[in-house]
Amino acid sequence: MTRLISPLILSALVLALVSSSSARHEQQAGAQRKATASSPAPVVREIDLAGLKKLLSREGKERRPLLVNFWATWCEPCRAEFPDLVSIDNEYRARGLDFITVSIDDVSEINSTVPAFLREMRATMPAYLLNTTEQDAAIQFVDPRWAGSLPATFLYDAQGKVVFKHLGRIKPDELRAAIKAVISDK
Amino acid sequence: MIKRYLFTFALVLSLSCAALYGINVKANATGSDSEPGAVGSVVADFKLPDLDGREQSLSSLKGKNGTVLIFVGVQCPVSNAYNERMEKLAQDYRARGVNVVGVNANSTESASDAKAHATSNNLTFPILKDNGNKLADKLGAERTPEAYVLDSSNKIIYRGRIDNARNPSSVSASELRDALEAMLAGKPVAKSSVPAFGCTIKRG
Repeated sequence: MTRLISPLILSALVLALVSSSSARHEQQAGAQRKATASSPAPVVREIDLAGLKKLLSREGKERRPLLVNFWATWCEPCRAEFPDLVSIDNEYRARGLDFITVSIDDVSEINSTVPAFLREMRATMPAYLLNTTEQDAAIQFVDPRWAGSLPATFLYDAQGKVVFKHLGRIKPDELRAAIKAVISDK
Repeated sequence: MIKRYLFTFALVLSLSCAALYGINVKANATGSDSEPGAVGSVVADFKLPDLDGREQSLSSLKGKNGTVLIFVGVQCPVSNAYNERMEKLAQDYRARGVNVVGVNANSTESASDAKAHATSNNLTFPILKDNGNKLADKLGAERTPEAYVLDSSNKIIYRGRIDNARNPSSVSASELRDALEAMLAGKPVAKSSVPAFGCTIKRG
């Protein structure tokens, strides 16, 4: 009898854990969406080459897989793919993914066009604007084989290795599959 | 016995992971060590129509001392920021035996779109329509504007940006002109490959 009951109790416990975890995810995603709809334009932080390197190397932080999207408001395919990126952020942030966006717009647009677009998209991922005269060095730091075409999306695993990259408008299913392969909560 | 099974399992697992990882990155990578359009490679003669539909070739358009191929776009704000600079470049170097040739490889822009754009922006250098991205694929061109400097024997001696700023008043490095000056002086090019942010070429 005990032999029969133990697996049952175990299964019930696992089920309870899974459902409470997914409920937590739902709550977090809901809270995020709620905050977005009513919040002011998001803050876009200016970074230089050193700042970009620091962001991507994530020294001293507990590492989670990191998704980085390089974009600009003047880039039509970047704007077109943004709703998919926001959905992906909402789906996977609570499941162990960090996601940041790096705008290549001119720094004069850091308080206007860039945050206005992010607000329109209801984007809540940390947003940065790369302001550097060393754009070539920045591109080569991210990927020596990248010529700088936008949009560009890179996925790093928890060890900081690029496990997926896509130049041009993302294919959401392809990106989702790559994310699922590296996040802790599958 | 168990050890052997464990070892085989670990081997199969690691090989599968390596294979999966390879496919993922490879499928989205943009080049390899023998990448198209690499500096040092020679561009074979090609034929493409100009914006009036007349067939042109590299051999018919090349300059005596070299050629600059620049991938351009009608709607790309970065490419458009360089319209005046590209025209000035063409005028400055024409007399010195170097011809500038524009290439529109965007599948979303027709020859007539590109012609109207060239007329309204006073672009007088020849522009070719790269239907099917044949030349862009051959050279591994990804964005606009992206320039290739070919010497008199069509060898690529520079590949990359025109200069380091969209805003002409902020320019502090002009690698494309530096490459041309080095080529004309018979000197090696100091920086032969310089990436820059730009619009992705829309492939059809």
